[in-house]
Amino acid sequence: MIALRSILCAGMAITVTACGPAPIDHKRQIGAHPYLPDIHQYLIPPMHVPTAGKWGSAKPTVPAGLQIKALATDLKNPRSLYVLPNGDILVVETDGPPAPINRPKEFVMNLIEKQAHSNTKAGNRIVLLRDADGDGVPELRTVFLEGLHSPFGVVLVGNDLYVANTDAIVRFPYQTGQTKITAPGTTLCDLPGGPIDHHWTKSLTASPDGAKLYAGVGSNSNITENGIGAEMDRAAIWEIDRATGAHRLFATGLRNPNGLQFEPQTHALWAVVNERDELGPDLVPDYMTSVKDGAFYGWPYSYYGQHVDPRVMPQRPDLVAKAIPPDYALSSHVAPLGMVFYTGTNLPTAYRGGAFVGEHGSWDRTEYNGYRVVYVPFINGQPGGMAQDVVTGFLDGDTARGRPVGLAVDSKGGLLIADDIGNTVWRVTGASN
Amino acid sequence: MPRQTPQSTAAIGGHPLHAMLVPIPITCFVGTFLTDLAYWQTANMQWANISAWLLTVGLLVSVVVVIFGLIDFFGDRRIRELNAAWIHGLGNAFALILSILNAFIHSRDAYTSVVPTGLILSGIVVLILAVTSWNGGSMVFRHGVGMRPEDRT
Repeated sequence: MIALRSILCAGMAITVTACGPAPIDHKRQIGAHPYLPDIHQYLIPPMHVPTAGKWGSAKPTVPAGLQIKALATDLKNPRSLYVLPNGDILVVETDGPPAPINRPKEFVMNLIEKQAHSNTKAGNRIVLLRDADGDGVPELRTVFLEGLHSPFGVVLVGNDLYVANTDAIVRFPYQTGQTKITAPGTTLCDLPGGPIDHHWTKSLTASPDGAKLYAGVGSNSNITENGIGAEMDRAAIWEIDRATGAHRLFATGLRNPNGLQFEPQTHALWAVVNERDELGPDLVPDYMTSVKDGAFYGWPYSYYGQHVDPRVMPQRPDLVAKAIPPDYALSSHVAPLGMVFYTGTNLPTAYRGGAFVGEHGSWDRTEYNGYRVVYVPFINGQPGGMAQDVVTGFLDGDTARGRPVGLAVDSKGGLLIADDIGNTVWRVTGASN
Repeated sequence: MPRQTPQSTAAIGGHPLHAMLVPIPITCFVGTFLTDLAYWQTANMQWANISAWLLTVGLLVSVVVVIFGLIDFFGDRRIRELNAAWIHGLGNAFALILSILNAFIHSRDAYTSVVPTGLILSGIVVLILAVTSWNGGSMVFRHGVGMRPEDRT
């Protein structure tokens, strides 16, 4: 693939200047005020995806003071995690619905992306792991819930377990200690699904009082190339009334929000957001942000506040004028898909009180970015400092042994990482624990 | 007895393959310009999508059309002696290079996949095709390339 791209670049260099600007140091785009270069629209956008590999006996790298072990292997596309109050760990094995081909480009992109994805067919189910003694070796591993439709988010409120399929939030009855749900689910609320379902992961969380659910509904395109009509009620965080199933748009202009979490100190809703592609290797930075009620964060009309995207027509200056910048940039194309605030005590104090972010990794820049789990320290409910690499080593040259997605913290304070290429759930603990 | 008119080498039963197939890319590239105009005026993505498909099909069929054209061009010295053949061939080569660039422009997302670069390229290609097709017509209708009138006797 690299060779093919080089040939194309070389061929095109005769008629155009280059295949794009060189990437900058990604650290310039971490924090509240990222450096934003000029827009570069490609003739041939770089598609640089690592080939899906295997861990073998290797495992991800963690800094001194931490250790990492596989909690479960040989899963089927594990992408998100949820820890039940009794400590049982739910692993959502999932994949997106088949994508329609509306343009020649989509045909080509599907071919290229195939090599980056796991060959394992997703389970479209939830697997339960029970590690009651907390030694990192589950005593029980069982299929918890089957027959789901591209599920992603899970949240328990009381005895109601909610699963966000790509097209609906479904409620199941759950009793503490239950290891299998066979009862049919009840649809609480439909969500925008197919036939086009570009960003299909529906992240889910509940308000601290349990009255409302919040679902991340990603956009149906990179930048409205499927028409603005396909974006109805998308690129938004929905607030769903748990009693009635009625919903409203809590915040909009969030291209692909995931990892919804309430910050433990301020009780503000936070999300990690995947920003738009094909404006250059360093545009637009993905970010994490507190999500303000009623706020508009720009997509598709503008990014990082009021930087207008020329690809959207008709433009909406009235909406651009309302757009607010997010709180904290994570740098461009890292693809954050998981976030968890760490309130445990297992990890060293340096990792307490802030947020871990799972960066699935870039596909559209010449130098990889992401493919790691970072820690963002927080002070008084806001990010306070540079993100630090915590779990790395997912890439081995141009092979991805794994890619981190969803995160969770288990009952003993271990950080759990869903790895959808490695088909593994990793567990990070303090080196002495 | 040698034939009076330059002959097509890539032909089936006296029918030149190049002439049979060349209407497909011409139609596609003219169509691209029309659907680009429609997108420019409406910002309705369906027109841009149709442009992208037309460009792709036009370029794919062009591969075959070019091969048959080159076989004819190098297959008969009398074709290479025609000014019209050189204008036709080089002009279409330029139109194809522009159309390849245009296909990449059209692979961008949303508005800038067409406006302004894609639309301008589509328009230039149509202008070039008007000239090259006229010369292609001259090759057949004035110089009789591929004609076999003696077969009727």
